[in-house]
Amino acid sequence: MSSFGKFLLGRILAIPVTLFIITFGIFAIITTAPPEELATLYFPPNIRSSMPPEMIQAKIDQIIEEHGLDDPLPVQYVHWIGNLIKGDWGWSPTFNGDVLPLLKQRTPVSAELTFYSLIFLFPVALVIGLIAGWLQGGRFDSTYRFTAFLGLSIPPFILGLFLISVFYVGLHWFPLGRTGIHGLLYSPTSDFVSYTGFLTIDGLLNGRLDVTVDAARRLVLPVLTLSFLYWATISRVTRVAVIEEKNKDYIVFAKARGLKQRTIVGRHAFRNAMLPSLTIGILSAASIITGVFVVERVFDLKGLSGLLVGSFVGVPDTPMTLGFAVYSTLLVIPIMFILDLLRGVIDPRLREGD
Amino acid sequence: MLSRSRKFRTNKQILIGLLMVGTFVVVALIAPWLAPQPDPTDTSPFKITGQQFQRLPGPPTAESPLGTTPQIRNMPLYGLKPGQDSSYQWDVYYTLIWGTRSALYFGLLVTFLTSMIGITIGTVSGYLGGTAEYLMMRVTDAFLAFPAIAAIWLFQRVFFENLFDPFMDYDQLSWWELTLERARIDPVMLTLIVFSWMPYARLMNNMVSQIKKNEYVQAAKVMGASGWHIILQHLLPNSISPTVVLAARDVGVMVILACAFIFIGFGGRVAWGIMLVTSRDFVIGYGGNPFVYWWSFVPISLALILFSMGWNFLGDGLNDALNPHRRY
Repeated sequence: MSSFGKFLLGRILAIPVTLFIITFGIFAIITTAPPEELATLYFPPNIRSSMPPEMIQAKIDQIIEEHGLDDPLPVQYVHWIGNLIKGDWGWSPTFNGDVLPLLKQRTPVSAELTFYSLIFLFPVALVIGLIAGWLQGGRFDSTYRFTAFLGLSIPPFILGLFLISVFYVGLHWFPLGRTGIHGLLYSPTSDFVSYTGFLTIDGLLNGRLDVTVDAARRLVLPVLTLSFLYWATISRVTRVAVIEEKNKDYIVFAKARGLKQRTIVGRHAFRNAMLPSLTIGILSAASIITGVFVVERVFDLKGLSGLLVGSFVGVPDTPMTLGFAVYSTLLVIPIMFILDLLRGVIDPRLREGD
Repeated sequence: MLSRSRKFRTNKQILIGLLMVGTFVVVALIAPWLAPQPDPTDTSPFKITGQQFQRLPGPPTAESPLGTTPQIRNMPLYGLKPGQDSSYQWDVYYTLIWGTRSALYFGLLVTFLTSMIGITIGTVSGYLGGTAEYLMMRVTDAFLAFPAIAAIWLFQRVFFENLFDPFMDYDQLSWWELTLERARIDPVMLTLIVFSWMPYARLMNNMVSQIKKNEYVQAAKVMGASGWHIILQHLLPNSISPTVVLAARDVGVMVILACAFIFIGFGGRVAWGIMLVTSRDFVIGYGGNPFVYWWSFVPISLALILFSMGWNFLGDGLNDALNPHRRY
């Protein structure tokens, strides 16, 4: 097997291990609650509304019996994870529906925001970090350092609200929310087919340019907010890496050989300077998802975070809480995986290690 | 070797950072004199003023120099006494001053605990090596893949159910609930402690596994030094400096994160965050003028930004001073 194949296999095999540790940890925490509360995980949909209290109690006892909620933790865990794999994530009393379809239905909104933020964020951060590092000490560098400082210090919700009050309230440039009132016209109709769930892409596939433009306009402010948050972290690491890289022998040698500045930066320094920023990307993948949820709340995008926030008003909603925790991990893992693969593509040494 | 210009910049950065952080510390210490409270035994960061059932922020007056905000009803605000949960007005200036205490307490406690956990795990795994290191690093990676926000509600449900009950009876709390209450730990804080030690662990693990290979460590091992001796005498002192930088930056980051979580509706105790929740609806203002109710959010937001900037400056300055060759 080629070295890259081995690397790929190792990374793929690491995913179930990660998932096991996380799900086991979450489940161990939730099982400290009494069995009666755990029983809500297995409630059938109509139990609360349609039954008298004593029948509910009988049903709870039956559920405890049936699903072995008095059993030791590992047994319960296997039972629960089996249900998850079968697609039975429980029934959420607050949203009056099954947890998994609810989560799936809202995923495209969060995924779209994450996707465009990452696509926008990484190239911009890399290029700016590269220029700032290469022109270290210059005017560009000092401007950059100050802006990066702001990026690290301004809370996302304050920045978001500021952008809203300037560009939405003041200038009327960008609307808020996922769709406007006309969104009702194209959401579930037969002539607007949802291929990917991303409104920007679906609009193109359906030949509805107005939908794409509208969706893109609504994404501008959230993407900017989210990017400004993580842009500073990533470009800062790139800058330091470039500064380190440019004093190395091979760069000095390339200069002495008479290679053009652009060739040196593009072909040699950039490649090596990208690695630390990818590593930081992997380290902060989970916090990017957290940032996505915060930004969704601020800009009123009806994404996954709505389920989280909705599940803590009113009745205790254990299935949704647990389901959300597992599901959001499932969102983080692909990001980490892709960045890790990129790292392996760029640096052959990584494929041999581990 | 530090060039002259860099040395100057380093000192300047540390100085600015210390000055900003120091100001916040001083404000926190002399809060009782800056913003005297009617009842000296009350250390709540909020002062209730004005009339009940006010729905709009009150403009600055002689009594409340920075105006007031209306408190939001029916929100699980942590650490409030029963009876405070109605729509009175809150004094902004008062919260600004007393909130410094809660922000500093929150940031320092979270950073201290996370760095302790991370340093311990990183150092031990780096020192042991082999299977133990592999397992510990796998667990670290698993924690890295979990978005902290999803755990807050879990912790709140499991550990804080009784503490959030405004009519709770202290005698009926279990010992760990009392510990959480006495240490003023809220769900947001617990989540941040549990889910932000991983960078420290990875950093320490890297440093320790490099330093372990040095000859003086090997020599100490051959001479029969115990594991704890090697870790405490050789490994820790030589690998701690990047962690110090990370910790200095983290204080501000943690407070910002906490405020963000409180802002979207979780129960937390950072007073600035809670006050920003009460002013959330007035940021946009009306009639296209976003600054109609400026006093309800500008002072607190500025304080928050300056707070995290101060710690960032301090971290950057320390970074240039402690790690002149490898700057993170």
